Amino acid sequence: MAGDPIIRLRDVEKSYGPASAPARVLRGVSLEVGSGEFVALMGESGSGKSTLLNIVGALDVADRGHVEVAGVRYGEAKERALARLRNVDIGFVFQAFNLIEHLTCLDNVCLPASFSRGKSPAEVQERGKEVLGRVGLADVAGRKPGTLSGGQKQRVAIARALFQRPRILLCDEPTGNLDSHTGGEVIEFFRELNERDGVTLVIVTHEQRISSAAERIVSIRDGVIEDESAGAPAAKEAAST
Amino acid sequence: MIAPGKLARLVATNALSNRRRLALHTFGLVVGIASFAFFLSLSMSVRSVFLEEIFPLDEVEVVAPRVGAADVDARDALNDDVVNEIRQHPDVKEAVPRMAMAFPASGAAMFMGQRMPFEAGGFADGVDPAYVADEDFADRFVDWEAEEHEREACGPPPERECGDHYYCDQRDNTCHKRVPIVVSRTLVELYNTQFAPSHGLPPIDEALEGMLASMLRLEIGLGETMFAAAMTGGESPPRQVEGMVVGISDKAMPIGVTVPIGYMERWNREFVGDEAAEVYSSIEVVLEGREAVAPFAGWVQDELDLSLADRQGERFATAIFIVTALFVMISLVIVTIAAINIAHSFFLQVSERKRELGVLRAIGGTRGDIRTLVLAEAALIGVIGGLLGVAAARVGAAAVDFAAHRWMPAFPFKPDSFFLFEWWIVAGGIACAVVFAVLGGLFPAGRAANMPPAQALSQD
Ligand SMILES: Nc1ncnc2c1ncn2[C@@H]1O[C@H](COP(=O)(O)OP(=O)(O)OP(=O)(O)O)[C@@H](O)[C@H]1O
Ligand SMILES: [Mg+2]
Repeated sequence: MAGDPIIRLRDVEKSYGPASAPARVLRGVSLEVGSGEFVALMGESGSGKSTLLNIVGALDVADRGHVEVAGVRYGEAKERALARLRNVDIGFVFQAFNLIEHLTCLDNVCLPASFSRGKSPAEVQERGKEVLGRVGLADVAGRKPGTLSGGQKQRVAIARALFQRPRILLCDEPTGNLDSHTGGEVIEFFRELNERDGVTLVIVTHEQRISSAAERIVSIRDGVIEDESAGAPAAKEAAST
Repeated sequence: MIAPGKLARLVATNALSNRRRLALHTFGLVVGIASFAFFLSLSMSVRSVFLEEIFPLDEVEVVAPRVGAADVDARDALNDDVVNEIRQHPDVKEAVPRMAMAFPASGAAMFMGQRMPFEAGGFADGVDPAYVADEDFADRFVDWEAEEHEREACGPPPERECGDHYYCDQRDNTCHKRVPIVVSRTLVELYNTQFAPSHGLPPIDEALEGMLASMLRLEIGLGETMFAAAMTGGESPPRQVEGMVVGISDKAMPIGVTVPIGYMERWNREFVGDEAAEVYSSIEVVLEGREAVAPFAGWVQDELDLSLADRQGERFATAIFIVTALFVMISLVIVTIAAINIAHSFFLQVSERKRELGVLRAIGGTRGDIRTLVLAEAALIGVIGGLLGVAAARVGAAAVDFAAHRWMPAFPFKPDSFFLFEWWIVAGGIACAVVFAVLGGLFPAGRAANMPPAQALSQD
């Protein structure tokens, strides 16, 4: 079901703190994610999940190892190429939403257009409304994020991540701040996105529901990948064959 | 790279989203720029009044030095030879001798039915009409008696009277053209601010200037003083001439009347003697520029044994320069403090907005974009602060002008506005605000740009 790897990590290492006494957070992680795959990244708190996701998303830099995402080799790429990758090919969804409070929801959603060319202002607005509609929030376009519920905020953040039609969506505990019902809606949305649009999903989560929706579960412990297991759909597939 | 239009929009919404923060940022700048523009335009105005109207700095007056008894004949030095020598000097544009009236004379001005007596001896001199050739009254500032010609006969009334602009001369009972006279702007200002109000007379403004020749008649009693006919060793008996004011010029004696030099030479010869008709009282020298003043003064002293008249203008200019420099320095200190304040507050803001800037990186912003964003915001604050500052200065200036107009008594050379907002003060004020705000934003912008986005976004 998964295509060619769109994310390749080999022997990735990352430490924090002073060089004399480094805290080794990632100790040689190798991972491949196929195009259109839905991967859940699980592990205890402090195991290095966010660090790994940030490195994949070019928000952080690995100390050692090889990272290649959507054909861009991070070690050799220029800053502009990485920024373009984040702008166009990768969408981020954070646990804390990270919306800009003084912009309207529509402006928040359209923000990625600030860093790319080709769309007229009208086209940008139109696309913004389209993605807001896609997450079911067409009616909040003119409101500031401060007036929204947590679930609505996260959907606005997802709309922003989808604005440029990314091939990869990286989510760091996207349901961590949501109640179980709204969390469920968001998970359903992700699943649909993956199945209908073929968006590659890597989601850091503690939630059983997400991991059971994923094709593959990658467990990480103390900075190394401990275990990879097939998620629910794959298991289902496996069971049916 | 972020597109300029999108940058502008992002910056504007960002800067304007928090009005209180914006006010806090701009306040210091506004105060600094306002005082900068206020004092600079004040001193420009004062300078222009002092230096252009009262004491032109590229003009000097060569006089015989005040000397002890040993050098009595030093005064004789101011003759045509000296004038020619000065004219040869490379820095000299023009050298014009002046001849003071060397004998007592009384005067009276007839104006609007009033007779205003004044002392003319010591308050009159003559200059070469060529000196005022570029003034619009030049065709009337002429020595009408340089050549002898036929004149109409006249006599004391009711016999025969002379026409307009003529008077009946006592010596030969013929009609002579009235002696053309120019007066200084200083004199007009003194009249307007001191004399006219207390005597119920109209001020001499532009409308009146052109009509002065017909409205104002001067009688001059050559060889007599105002109070008595006490003659002092003159060769000729006193006699009356009449004059008319043909124009107002800075080239006239500041307090007194100035006539074409030919009249003065003849009168001095008539009432004092030949010597008095050949020696000048001073030589007015127009130099190529202000910088030429000091070397020229040295040359006059060393080569000609003469000196320059006391130059109060220079002292005023220096005083104004010092005061201006002081105020501009104070303004710059205020602006610098404002810049430090901006830097500090941007610094805090960058920490506060760490997450926001991290988001911008995460959705495709480069380091350069972030730096540009923070600096553009600083520049916007600079522009706003600069505009408000200049506006505040103008409001302050208007208030001062209004108060001065309302409550300050008239004085000579009182200007309509005490402020001269030259374009470069406005442009410089805004530019200064922008430069300082951007300087203040530079370090915080660098810090914001170099923050790894993962760290900026991590929850604390
Ligand atoms: N910028 C940093 N400086 C120093 N240490 C860091 C930094 N970022 C992360 N760490 C450390 O690295 C380790 C892994 O952090 P990471 O955020 O990747 O864990 P995580 O698996 O996402 O945990 P959680 O489930 O709590 O989010 C932690 O011990 C953390 O303290
Ligand atoms: Mg984490």
